[in-house]
Amino acid sequence: MRLWLNHLRRTPLVLFLILYTILAGGPFLWVMSMSLRTTPEIFDNPYALPVRLHWEKFANAWTNSNYGTYFWNSLIVVVTAVALLTLIGAMAAHCLARYRFRGSRLVRFVILSGMILPPQLLILSLFQILLDYGLYNSLAGLIIVYVATQLAMTVYILEGFFAQLPQDLFDAARMDGYGDFEIFWRITLPIGVPAIFTTITLNFIILWNEYLYAVVLLTDDEKRTLPLGIMHFMGGHQLDVGMIATGLIIAIAPVILLYALFSETMIKGMTAGAVR
Amino acid sequence: MATVTIEELSKHYAGGSEPAVKAVSLDVADGEFMVLLGPSGCGKSSVLRMIAGLEPITAGTVAIDGRPVNHVPAKDRDIAMVFQSYALYPHMTVHANLAFGLRRRGVPGDEIDRRVRGVAEKLGLSPFLARKPHALSGGQRQRVALGRAIVRDPKVFLFDEPLSNLDAALRVSTRNELIKQQHELGTTTIYVTHDQVEAMTMGDRICIMNKGEVVQIGKPLDVYRNPADAFVARFLGNPPMNLLPARLATSGDRAVARFADVTVELPGYPLAALKPYLGATVTLGIRPEDLYEAPPPALSVRAQQIATRVLAVEPLGAETLLMLTIGGSSQEIVARIGRDTALRIGDAATITLDPSALHLFDPTTTKAIARTA
Repeated sequence: MRLWLNHLRRTPLVLFLILYTILAGGPFLWVMSMSLRTTPEIFDNPYALPVRLHWEKFANAWTNSNYGTYFWNSLIVVVTAVALLTLIGAMAAHCLARYRFRGSRLVRFVILSGMILPPQLLILSLFQILLDYGLYNSLAGLIIVYVATQLAMTVYILEGFFAQLPQDLFDAARMDGYGDFEIFWRITLPIGVPAIFTTITLNFIILWNEYLYAVVLLTDDEKRTLPLGIMHFMGGHQLDVGMIATGLIIAIAPVILLYALFSETMIKGMTAGAVR
Repeated sequence: MATVTIEELSKHYAGGSEPAVKAVSLDVADGEFMVLLGPSGCGKSSVLRMIAGLEPITAGTVAIDGRPVNHVPAKDRDIAMVFQSYALYPHMTVHANLAFGLRRRGVPGDEIDRRVRGVAEKLGLSPFLARKPHALSGGQRQRVALGRAIVRDPKVFLFDEPLSNLDAALRVSTRNELIKQQHELGTTTIYVTHDQVEAMTMGDRICIMNKGEVVQIGKPLDVYRNPADAFVARFLGNPPMNLLPARLATSGDRAVARFADVTVELPGYPLAALKPYLGATVTLGIRPEDLYEAPPPALSVRAQQIATRVLAVEPLGAETLLMLTIGGSSQEIVARIGRDTALRIGDAATITLDPSALHLFDPTTTKAIARTA
């Protein structure tokens, strides 16, 4: 009787979770299904499951629709930006967490205030700056913009985690003869791996899907990143729903893979950094 | 091995209204085990960190083997420190933790391995060399922290409350292990603790600090038997020394103290020494163990009896604590008596005290009144 009552009490929660899963996962599964069907098949029955799996569509999209170029551009920009963000952000977070120096509060405020400014506010200034320095319409320029705009969040997460590390660890390393940089490299970075993985995953997801800066700061088709490429393709092939779906799956596959591999580590890092 | 000399050492933290350490002077002899004892916030850890070079010195000097080291970086002072939290590197194995400091100093790999394995053998850590700290018990981690200090073969060991995270039983065994290691190595050691049992059992000498100042330095039993002031008298001893207001007067050619409705002689104080306090109220101290339900035979000649009433009885197993009021007053004292007592709450009890064990303290300065004129 008690078991039955427990089940009854949990029913609303379970129903809510089922509904949420359908709402959140449903569109993805639908796009996945469409990516393996031809456009005529989709128009015939939009919601049907694939009868025959058209894997050749992925190869077609990669070669004939320039997805390969967009994919590599995204990979170069995002991997480089994330690597720079991780290195610079970790160093900045370590200094803010460990050292008390004149102006540290001002430095922290300046860095973290970057989180509250919306991209729409910054885009015109960034456009002009890149133009002035000859970095407009270049992957290097986009990388620099990505690093600058994501640095605040990276420093915020990492500083919270690093601040929790006991000061005794660093004192012990100092007494063992290690200097500041060696302590950062040998102590902070290895121990900070969970939080660093969190920032890597978050930054990758955000930057992989980033559209606004890319559409304003890149104009050549050969330099387009994947989100731009997909929108360009959608503009040129509005009725080719099947190819659009295939392109979308190519675009989100790396993000899903990254999240599937590192989600647990990311959650550990986020919850550890949340308590200061 | 080395001497450590601290002269007029002071520390003022930014934003603090009072200095955390005020003109502390201390000499630690070669091979000595010196304990810095005091309540939380008294400045003992700050002194230790300034000796280690982890905290800048506001004023005064620290010298090791006669060489001032104020401006010498921590890594060059040839000091090893064991922290309260052990400070083991969580991402490294026990072997790597022990070897970490030696690697930085450019010690050859085979020499590092030899020293690490030697220290591990000495401390019973050989089976754990491949483990990481999270896979060790508290006692094992503590031994790794100690091993990391020993393997460096430094001139001075510094310990910052290393036993405070251990349970009571482990604390006793680890304390004995530390004493044994220090005696074997003969390394000069400065040990910070707030635990008086550690201080009494481990130190060759203890230095008691309060509010940033040194209050008393001496051998543990000397300090216990002859506290310099009321703070030391209460801080050392569990339960603490009973302190009561008492009026000094004369009885013939002897001084007597009157408290509640009791008059006691003061055989430990010649009249000449108490002349400035006659007629005034001073603070009288007596340790709980100097109050007896049944006095030992050696005491009977000079013993004095006082009438009390039992407020509370705390049987501790090996002994019993009695909370008592003196006579008809509300003045409370604590007595430590044997485990076998028939006394219950509300009983009238005749308690014997040893007048020679009485202490007197100046009521204004709280300093112990000298027993000589």
